[in-house]
Order: sequence, then structure tokens, then C-alpha cells
Amino acid sequence: MTISRREFLLGVPAVAWSGFALSVNARAQSPVQTFSGPMANAQEVYRPVKLEAKPGARPGMTPEQRDELEHRIKCQCGCVLDVFTCRTTDFSCSVSPAMHGDVVALVDGGYTAPEILAAFQTAYGERVLMEPVKSGFNLLGYTMPFIVLGSGALVIAALLRRWRSRAPATVVVAEREVSATSEELARLDAAVRSDA
Amino acid sequence: VILVGELSLWVALLMAAWGATVSFAGGQLRRSDLIQSGERAIYATLAMVVLASIGLWTALLTHDFSIKYVASFTSANLPVIYTITAFWGGQSGSLLFWALILAVFSAITLWTNRTRNRELMPYVSGTLALILVFFLAAICLGSNPYERLDWIPPDGRGLNPQLQNPGMAIHPPNLYFGYISTSIPFAFAIAALLTRRLDAEWLAAVRRWALFSWFFLTVGITLGMWWAYVELGWGGYWAWDPVENASLLPWLVNTAFLHSIMVQEKRGMLRKWNVTLVASAFLLSIFGTFITRSGVISSVHSFAQSTVGWWFAGFLLVCIALTAYLVTTRLKDLRAQAELESMLSREAAFLYNNLVLIGIAFSVLWGTIFPILSEAVRGEKITVGPPFFNTVNVPLGLLLLLLTGIGPLIAWRRASVANLKRQFTAPVTAAVAIGVMLFALGVHNLAALLSYTFGALVLTTVIQEFSKGVGARHRMYGESRLVALPRLVARNRRRYGGYIVHVGVVIIFAAFAGMAFKREYDLTLKAGESKTVIDPWGRRWTFLSQGISRYNVLNREVTAIALDLTRDGKTAGVLTSEKRQHVDTRGAPTFEPSTEVGIKGSFRQDVYVVLAGVRNVDDAEIRVSFNPLVRWVWLGGTLMALGGLVVMWPAADKRRVQTGYVAVLKPQQLPQAQRDVDLVGA
Repeated sequence: MTISRREFLLGVPAVAWSGFALSVNARAQSPVQTFSGPMANAQEVYRPVKLEAKPGARPGMTPEQRDELEHRIKCQCGCVLDVFTCRTTDFSCSVSPAMHGDVVALVDGGYTAPEILAAFQTAYGERVLMEPVKSGFNLLGYTMPFIVLGSGALVIAALLRRWRSRAPATVVVAEREVSATSEELARLDAAVRSDA
Repeated sequence: VILVGELSLWVALLMAAWGATVSFAGGQLRRSDLIQSGERAIYATLAMVVLASIGLWTALLTHDFSIKYVASFTSANLPVIYTITAFWGGQSGSLLFWALILAVFSAITLWTNRTRNRELMPYVSGTLALILVFFLAAICLGSNPYERLDWIPPDGRGLNPQLQNPGMAIHPPNLYFGYISTSIPFAFAIAALLTRRLDAEWLAAVRRWALFSWFFLTVGITLGMWWAYVELGWGGYWAWDPVENASLLPWLVNTAFLHSIMVQEKRGMLRKWNVTLVASAFLLSIFGTFITRSGVISSVHSFAQSTVGWWFAGFLLVCIALTAYLVTTRLKDLRAQAELESMLSREAAFLYNNLVLIGIAFSVLWGTIFPILSEAVRGEKITVGPPFFNTVNVPLGLLLLLLTGIGPLIAWRRASVANLKRQFTAPVTAAVAIGVMLFALGVHNLAALLSYTFGALVLTTVIQEFSKGVGARHRMYGESRLVALPRLVARNRRRYGGYIVHVGVVIIFAAFAGMAFKREYDLTLKAGESKTVIDPWGRRWTFLSQGISRYNVLNREVTAIALDLTRDGKTAGVLTSEKRQHVDTRGAPTFEPSTEVGIKGSFRQDVYVVLAGVRNVDDAEIRVSFNPLVRWVWLGGTLMALGGLVVMWPAADKRRVQTGYVAVLKPQQLPQAQRDVDLVGA
């Protein structure tokens, strides 16, 4: 069966219209579009991380070290930032200031950085840490790129060995005096280089 | 116009489907009428998509809020430039924009190949038409920008304030150009695999498109970093966000391809590898789109969760399966024509470079999807943030930088000891000297130290290469060095353009390493109060608050702080930072407040101030960051793009054919005087 160009062009609007009608149902289900994710309310996502202060507790770190520690804890407001960056960037976030308050209290209570991170992990789960804990299954995450790279290197090494064994043997030619002038050598060098 | 635009989308879908069908049929049956019909269908698809785009732009500019897309992404008080750029500000509009660019690129490909690659073209146009079918179907059935609302709102929601930035107006189109142009090499690869014409012919056809893609991805990524830095306010330019990673993946693969293609051109090797790279760049572009639009991985840049993202997942799987099938069934045809002779050769260096580039691409991909994998295996949600990516990628990046310095120094086929000694002496000496000097000056951060040391190696390599080339021209033609330099570049744009890119890479690595010395302070200032902090260079900066001001301007309410700066006791200017609450025409708030960062930049460092909040009416909470060497990132990115342009520039011999001394043999029937040789121009 052949369809002429005229028949095809006449058929296009009809098919287009029926397709349009068919799409109405599908489109009715499409969600509203927004650009960035919603910011959570502190009451919904904030979980207090409170521990009794250690006896005779004194802050075990400087404010700069505490800020550094906050860089390792993820804000739970729905952004992708750490607590320090979120609380010093977005004044509409109510979650990061609350989490910052917990960090300050724990530091003042004499807790060390690993203890504070562990306390946050207990309250929120591992997702509160900006990087996965280096243990168990997560080790696969850290090592896999290097395993792949190493495997690639092994494959290349094997290929090179195979290719070299197949390559024609190099003919050793005794070195001879070159009678060319330095200008001729420069010209030869340039010609070879421009071919690279 | 709007109705015509809406209908045009459907006609475009049908045209593309027709084009795909008849192109493949024409190729199989070797019927030129079908092949021609398929090509015309693509031109017709372009016309229809242009009509659809004009319709949407008309709806946006006339504020037709009965259209959901217009109501969701614009408002009556949105500046005209952002009303125009809102075209790609949302899901469905950006898909239409994608289809528009793809249709334009497809038409250009058909036009530029109307007399070339004729064996491949039916399958090229068929593949491109199929990709168009997918996008147009996703638009028409999954995310239609012409969807109507049941009622007409008095005003629209407006464009996200963070998108109301000049960088954001031009950054997405650049990235789209980069993503979409990977389709053309992919189509050629599929055509070459289908026809088993896997010689260098298809590579020559795709090289320029791969470069084009690389160029626009470079520009797009650099602009994206700049936008994130000045607009988001978190103090950096790269957060290893999934959407950022998605743009980096095809860039890395394209970079690998642009290196390995040289090996195939010169030695006929790496043929399987090159086909795989070309296909991977396209597949990773689709993967990035899937990430951005499915909501499967949370990202600050994502569009809202939508079912259309899963269309991309399905399309990606089909493309992977098809490519894998074609490659595995044509392994014999992809056998190398030559074999590597030495591990110390330029081709081997390209192999190592490819290994590291793909290793980095894998680690980025792996880190991006690892949260999903972890949740699937352990049932535990995890965060894979910048610390993870830095841990894994910094060593790989340093290795790549080292190879960037080593590769150009090694000869093709086999490097002799004498060659290595001659080539490496100056670069290695310079690198060691810089490393020792920096260590003595107190740079003890290992990654930064290695970065500058390897950077010195690469820079010296490039200088040495330019110097040798200029010297040779000087000796051979008696040209002055100033004249010889541009002529040297023009004589071999590909090689010397590549070196310019390498310089850009060094500058960017140096700038990245500078951020290791970043300092941040969290300050609270009342009006008239000042605080002093120390920057990474040991200088004392005093920030004096002039107080908080609140005012309305255009479509926003502004809360701003002005700070008087002094550096080591000397006046250093005024910095302001703002929080903006955008409002609609009735004054109702739209979106979350956004940040306007105060930046006092120099090539040494940026003083970066963010107004984080205001307490008790007048207590300003500010974050002050001293970000070393940030300007060098923009400079490095620009230089890389410039190098890419030099490489892409048409070959001199083609452009100068009318003015150079060209011998043209004339046909016999011409008069004797003109017959033998004609010298054209002077």
C-alpha cells in the first residue's frame, strides 16, 4: 500500500487531534512543577540531640573546630547543605539553627567530635552525616572507583603485553653520523612536530 | 498563534515518527525516495517545533495565565528578559527547548552532510528522528507546556528568584547545547555500527560535533559554577550535587573521546573504545536528564518530581541495550588496524589518560547513585556529600593533571631514552623547584602542594612545546617570534588549541587547590559595631556594620546590610549583602527568600559576605568567607573554552583557498593561457 504526500498531510490533523484528546487523561495526572525542593518545618524533622554534660565539662574544641564539625553534619531541612553552611546562608531555615544549638550544647558538655557525630547518627540515622561512615557496605562506595581504575589498569597492561608480543620486532640499526646541517635538522623536527 | 503552536507539537511528533520509519526503511531497501522523504520529515519536524516554541514564547510574553506553564513560571511583574528565559525555567518548557535544539542540530547535520557520508545518512537521520520522537512524545503525553488550567488566575506564581540571574539565563542553554549535541555523534555511531562502515569516515564526521558538545559543556559548567557562587550564597561553586555531577559526566567522557580519537586517526586503534565513548556521552546526557527530572535523587537544582523522569529511564535502558547489542555483534569489524608497540608512547599515554578520565567519570557516577544503592541493599538512607567526592576524586584528579603534563612529551609509537631525557628535563626541574619552594613557604597541604607541582610540570611542558615550535619557525622562515607564535597556532590549531586548554586546566586546578586555604567566620554585628578577622594571607580585615536597611524595589522586598571594610587599617571599600523576598503584583510573597551575596573580588581572593539573618530588628548575622583564587576558576574556564574554539576553528587551508598560492589544474577546453596552472590571488 502506498500513501501519497497529499493523503498523508490530510491525515495529519486528524491523527494529531485524536492524539491530543488521548493525552488529556495523562496530563491531568502531571504534578505541579516547582524548581527546588520544599523546605521542611523544624517541628517536622528536627530531633533533639541532648546528652548530659560530662562532669566538670569544658568545651573540647574552639569555635573554628566546632564550625568544621558542623560542616560534617547535614541539615535536615530538605536542602543539600551542611548545618554550618545552611544556618549561615538561609535565614528562613529553622532546622539548622536548632541543630547548631545541639552541637553547641554538646561541645559545651565536653563531648568530642566523634561522640557528637555518633549522637547525631543515633538520632537521625546515617543520613545526617555528610559522608558515609567508612565501614561495612560503605567501604564498597569508597573503594569501588579505585577497584575499577585498578582493573582498568590491569586490562590495559594485559593488552599492552599482548600487542607488544604481536608487534614487529624492532630492527636495531647501528647509529650513523648524520651529515645534515642544524638548519636541516630543525626543519625535519618542525615537519615531524607539525604532524603530531 | 498559541493554538497553532500546540497543534504543531503533535504534527511534529507525527513527522518525526514518519522520518524515523522511512529513513530506516530507505536505508535498508536502498530507496532514495524514502531516504529523501525521511530527511524532509526532519526539516518539517524542525518547522513544527519552531512553531510550537513561538507559540509558547507568545503565551509567556502575553501573560496567558490560562496556560499552566505560564502561570507556574511567570508573573505580570517579571522582567521581560526572564519572561523569555522562563521558556526553559520549568520542566515542560525545557523539554520543548530540548526538542527545538535537537531539531535544529538534526537539520544542520542533514544539511552539512547532503553530499557526504551518504551511506550513513539514512541511519543517522533515522536515529535522530527516533530521539526526536521520544522527546516529542514525552512533551505531548508526559509534560505538555500547553496544558490549560480550569480557571484563569489573575497573576502567575513568578519565576524562582534564583533563576532571575543573567548567568541562569545563559547557563542552561549552554548545557543543553552540550547535552543535545552528543546526539549527533551517537547517531553517527549507530549508523556506522548498523552499516558496519566502521572506518575513520564516521569519526571525521563526528569529531567536530564532539568538540562542539565539549565546548558548550565547558561554557555551561563554568557559567553554572559562577551562578551557584554568586546566587546560591553557600560560599562555593561546586557542591558535587547530583545535577552538577550529571553535567560533568558527559564532559569527562567527551574529553576522553577527544584524546582517544587521535589514536584511531593516527594508528587505527581504539575503535571499540571510541564507539563506546561516543555512545556513553549520549547515554550519560540522558542519565543526567533522568536524574534532574525524576526526583529519584534529591538535588538543589532538580525540577519537581514527575513521571516524565521515568520516560527517560526507559529510553536510557532501550538505548543501552541497543548500543550494547550493536557493539557486541560487530566486534570483528571494530578490530584495531595497528597495535601498540611500547608502553612509553603517545598512544599509551592517551590510554592512561582515558583510563583516569573514565575512572573519574565512574567515581562521580558511583557517588551519585550510591545513596540509592545503599538504601536498596541496607535499607539505610545515607548522604554522599562533598567530603566523599573529594576523598575519591582528589587523587584521581591529581593523577590526571600529572598525565596532562607527561602525555605531550612522549613521542608517538615508541619513545627513546634520549627523547624522554630531552623532553622531561625542563618540566621536571621546574615542577620540583616549585614544589620545594612552596613547601618552604609553608604550603603543607599535600593535595594543594601536588596540585601546584604538577601544574608547574604541565605549564612548563606547554611553554616548552610553544617555544620549540616558535623557535623552529624562526629558524626556518626568519619570522620574528611574535609573528611565529600566532602562525604556529594557525598551522596546527588542534595541537596548540589543545595546549591552551591544558593551561586552562592548570589554572582551574590551582584555583581548586586554593580553596583548601579558605577561611570562614560567623559574625553577629549590631549597627555601628565592628569585628576583625584574619584572612588566609594573614591580613586583618575589619567589618563595620552600617546597619540594616529595608526597602521595596521592582518585584521584591529587600533586607540589606552595608559593611565598611578595612584591611590592615586601610579603607577597603563597602560591601552589601541582601535577602530578597519576591512578591507578586498584589504584594504577596512568592518563593523562599533568596540571597544576594556581597563579593569583593581580586585575583588573590574573594571576600564573600552573606547576610544570613536578622535578629532583634538590627542584629545582623553574617557569614564572611575568604575564598582564595576563585577568579582563576572563571579565567581557567574561559581559557579552556577559548582553546576549544581554537581547535574547532575551520582549517586554514580551506578558508584561505581563495587568497593563497594554489595551483588549480584547468580543464582542456579552456584557453591555452589559462590551461596549465592558475595562480589564484597573491
